[in-house]
Amino acid sequence: MSSRSLKFISGKLGIVLAVVVLLVWSLGPIYWSVVTSLTSPTDLVSATPHFWPTHVTLEHYARLFGSTSMSQGNEVQSVWPQFSAALLNSLITSVVATVLTVVIAAFSAYAFVRLRFPGRDMIFVLVVATLAIPAYTVMIPLYRLMISLKLVDTYLGVSLIYVSAFLPLALWLMRSVYQAMPLSLEEAAWLDGASKVYTLVRIVMPLAAPGLIAAAIITFLNAWGQFLVPLVFSPTLATKPLTVLIPEFVGRNYVDYGLINAAGIVAIIPPVLVVLFLNRFLVSGLMAGATK
Amino acid sequence: MTATLSQKGPRRRYGEVNLGLALVIPVIVIMGGLVVFPLLSTIVDSFYRINLMRPGTPFTGLGNYADLLQDTSVRRSWVNTFYYVMMAVVLETLGGLAAALLLNKIKYGRRWLLAAVVLPWCLPPVVNAVVWLWIYNPSYGLLNGILQAAGLTSAPVVFFNDPKLALFLVTIVHVWRMMPLTAIILLAALQSIPEDLYQAAKLDGAGAFKSFRLITLPLIASGLAIALSQSTVFAFNLFDEAWILSGSSLDTRTVMIQVYMFAFQNMKFSLGMALSLMAMLASLLVSLVYVLKVYRETRFD
Repeated sequence: MSSRSLKFISGKLGIVLAVVVLLVWSLGPIYWSVVTSLTSPTDLVSATPHFWPTHVTLEHYARLFGSTSMSQGNEVQSVWPQFSAALLNSLITSVVATVLTVVIAAFSAYAFVRLRFPGRDMIFVLVVATLAIPAYTVMIPLYRLMISLKLVDTYLGVSLIYVSAFLPLALWLMRSVYQAMPLSLEEAAWLDGASKVYTLVRIVMPLAAPGLIAAAIITFLNAWGQFLVPLVFSPTLATKPLTVLIPEFVGRNYVDYGLINAAGIVAIIPPVLVVLFLNRFLVSGLMAGATK
Repeated sequence: MTATLSQKGPRRRYGEVNLGLALVIPVIVIMGGLVVFPLLSTIVDSFYRINLMRPGTPFTGLGNYADLLQDTSVRRSWVNTFYYVMMAVVLETLGGLAAALLLNKIKYGRRWLLAAVVLPWCLPPVVNAVVWLWIYNPSYGLLNGILQAAGLTSAPVVFFNDPKLALFLVTIVHVWRMMPLTAIILLAALQSIPEDLYQAAKLDGAGAFKSFRLITLPLIASGLAIALSQSTVFAFNLFDEAWILSGSSLDTRTVMIQVYMFAFQNMKFSLGMALSLMAMLASLLVSLVYVLKVYRETRFD
């Protein structure tokens, strides 16, 4: 074998090795969590860790979804009432925040790109500058504001905070999408007598659909994963999401790792579906948001 | 074209202004009410004593800031936060650059590798932290299992008993979540480099390392600056991972955890506001330094 082909093969091997390392790093912890959620409690506390479930059990999931369930021969209280409420709360606040954010961004970003009005650039710069301000900085006055508006522990209050936190990024993204579109289409529509709003809704937005989807995905994932905001603003099960409920399963003296991993797996289903089916939009959105 | 449009006269312009303002008003109301106004009131209130446990809200000038400078646990949380920022930025940038170079190189299955790489960023940070909490479990955790199976340790290690190790393990969880963002930003930058530049460099006899240093690095500089500043801002605001992994423990406490504890556990609102302002300024300053430095050092001369 010549040294050249040897070099070629070792280079290929290096790449394969790097891919394996990257895959194990990225997916390993998730795989371990899935295995844990399917492992029986006795196996979980055995001396040696099981790298794959030897006795697959659904009992942790049964405790999440059943009314009562059996664990090690005893009937135990299931967490379904809290879990279902938190799951619903997570879905409602994330979806409401996503819809509001994307609709507002879709219309106002267009105004920032195509319409001329006084203060346009200053308002845009100010809004985007808030990207550099961590949402946590304003949490304390926000808390007092929400108390005086009686919006603590309401869907509206939590969703509005999400909108204020994620709108700047969505605006930035949508502006770069509109900027990349040719003006000639819109001008043709205007000359035909179509109004600006009609042109935007019927001609521009369908063409900007990939950008809108990307903005929606990024907003949804951010809202779905929020922890500190609901920790403060969602004290009860009226609006408490999964992210706040799951850590509560970590007891003071005893942690039920099977249950907590099963709950975690349920909570990552929406993000996993997004990555499996919409990753193209997500990645191009993140790239556009970062490079333009 | 512009001439025909502007000929329609002042009525048309007037309508455009109205429509523009109408579309932007929701943004102004939401951002003004929920970000700008609270930010301004944070600044103002940080000069008063606002403590739900004590009556009155007297003006104290820089009193809150002076208290913060003397508080030993605040100082500890700053030290921890700077450690997180330094470690996270270095690890995310090196790991993210390596992942981006790899993703840029492979041709088959790139879509799937990219999906796997992005996944940790998409998951709720709390769930990540819980999964890693289980991996770090002293009695039955995976990490101890691997260490013992590899013969590196003989007995299970209680990782969070060692303050330095605890900080590092929290950093790993944060890096696991945030590295994908750096990788994607750098991948976008890499993909914008024209292929013929590398071919030209090869013809001139430049090796892989030389063309990386002379072509790749300068051309991804702006992406690198963005990646560095977002890593910095996110690491400065680290809360979820540290809170889930070891709660209010001083060993891993971040500035944001300290802010949360001041405001929502001890009801010392104005102290929390002063601290959160300092954290914001610090993270802005550090990111600004990167942007300027990266810009200056990699600019074409």
